[in-house]
Parts: sequence; C-alpha cells; structure tokens
Amino acid sequence: METQGLQMTEQKAGPGLYKRNPPIAGEAEAIERAKAGDAEAFSKLYALHKRRVYTLCLRMLGNVTEAEDMTQEAFLHLFRKIGSFRGESAFSTWLHRLTVNLVLMHLRKKGLQLVSLEETINPSEEDAPKRDFGSRDMQLSGSVDRVALERAVASLPPGYRMVFVLHDVEGFEHNEIAAMLDCSTGNSKSQLHKARLKLRELLRQPESTAQAGLKEAAL
Amino acid sequence: MTSHNFQPESSAPLSCAEFQEHLPDLFAAGSEGLTDDPTMLEHLKTCENCSALVRDLQYIADQARQLLEPTHEPSDDVWKKIQEGLTGDIHVASNPGKV
Repeated sequence: METQGLQMTEQKAGPGLYKRNPPIAGEAEAIERAKAGDAEAFSKLYALHKRRVYTLCLRMLGNVTEAEDMTQEAFLHLFRKIGSFRGESAFSTWLHRLTVNLVLMHLRKKGLQLVSLEETINPSEEDAPKRDFGSRDMQLSGSVDRVALERAVASLPPGYRMVFVLHDVEGFEHNEIAAMLDCSTGNSKSQLHKARLKLRELLRQPESTAQAGLKEAAL
Repeated sequence: MTSHNFQPESSAPLSCAEFQEHLPDLFAAGSEGLTDDPTMLEHLKTCENCSALVRDLQYIADQARQLLEPTHEPSDDVWKKIQEGLTGDIHVASNPGKV
C-alpha cells in the first residue's frame, strides 16, 4: 500500500490520551532495541499492541479482512519508521495515530476521491437519528453492557462510527479529528452528537426490535 | 473546563428544539455540569424529556471508554504476512513474544 502521504510527525498527545495510554512494562526497552533492528523486540511490540491496533481497525472498517490487512500495513509501517519515534508522546498514541491515518487513506483510496470525506461520511436521511422532542421511553443509565454497545457501534453509519470511535473510544479531540478527516471542527462535533443520538435510539429498542434493526443496518 | 454561556435573544423559555440545537457544543465544551447558562439550566430543570436525553448521551459517552480495552485478536496469518513483508528489511523472529 502506498503511504507517501502519511503524516509521521510526532504530535504531543492531549491529557486524555496520556491517561488512556499508560506506559507498558518492557515497552520502552523494546522500542529502543527495535530501533537498533532487534528482531525479537519487533515481535514483542507486535505482541503488545496487536489487539489494540486490530480492534481499532475493525471498529473503523467494520470488516475482518480489511482490518487484518490494515493491521499488517500499520505494523509494517511502524517497523520501517520506528526510528523517527522520539518519545514525546506515548508510543501507543503515536501508533494509533499512524493506524488511523493509514485507515483513512485506505478509505479515501477505496472510492472517496471525487467528493470530500466530509460529504461522504454524512449518512443518508434514513440513517440519521430522529429528533427527540417528546418520547418518554426507558432511560439507558445502568442498562447497557459492553456487548450491546459494541454491536450498536458496529451498526452505526460509517461516518458516525468513525467520529464516535475516534472521539469517545480513542480519546482524540475534535480539532484532531477535523484535521484527520479533513472536515471542520463543527462537523466533527455534529457527527459525534448524531452518532450518540443514533446509539441511544438503537440501545433503547426492545431486544427483538434491536436485533432486526442491527441486522438491517449491517446489510 | 469552562461552561459555555449562550445568550438567547430574549429571556423567553427555550423550546426543546432550541435547547437540543446547542447540545453538540455543550458536550464538546466538556464541563461537568454541562452548562451554567440560566436559560439552558431552566429548560433542563423543567423538561423531563431533554434532561433524560442529556443523561443518556452522557451515559453513552462514559460507557464508550470501556470499549478502549481491545477484545479482538488478529489471526496468526497477520504476523506471517508481516514477516514476509519485512523480508529484506530485517530478519524477524518466527513468533511474536507472548505477553
């Protein structure tokens, strides 16, 4: 995969990302050894980060084959560029940024060249969340488990899912997301809000309706 | 964190639509109390529907953090392909170390 346009500059992470990405035992030593070309150190870094990178790819792409391909690309790129990691941000933050950029580039190459990503990531009216000015249904608090949330996130329209995963799961700020997606900060905030509204709608549905809705959304 | 203050043109009570229009910015501002704007607070206090909406959206954002922990694992083929891809660059270990 061509990665010429990939930004590999190391940006300092926001406080949220430091909290979310604490140092891992043995990681710093493995990074230094990997920079010197130590093969065992590369395999250690892969073992330490493969699940996080793959899960991120899978959530962004919603497809196992593509997620595995992107995981492969991310680590190949990492191994070739690790010398440029200066330790100014958490290693996992740096690796995640690299992965997100690769996935976005992949999505653009897949067919988003003619229109901007900002337009393309906006879902159709049918997928948009309904405005809520009067319903008095059950409240979510305390009722949502991880599996249900994971399934609901997977069924979001791609644009909503992308911003939700980057902001609420990965901890990127709106200005960072705007830069990555080449859209405005306002658009990122709006997409996130709509994603949460859509999730609320999906999670409030009774079990049987939700199953049907999730299947339909996945098609 | 500072709360966003909105200054409506009149002091008339907000409708649900007006209140909800401000929500993306209010959530993005990230203040714990969401807002300290009196008009917004008044609506939040008196509108059961909008207060439930705000609670649910905050709950969803909070719950999302638990998804950061990875649950999925790539197949062994991924590491094999990485090794193949790196052939010529470096001779990597045959198996990634267990952690």
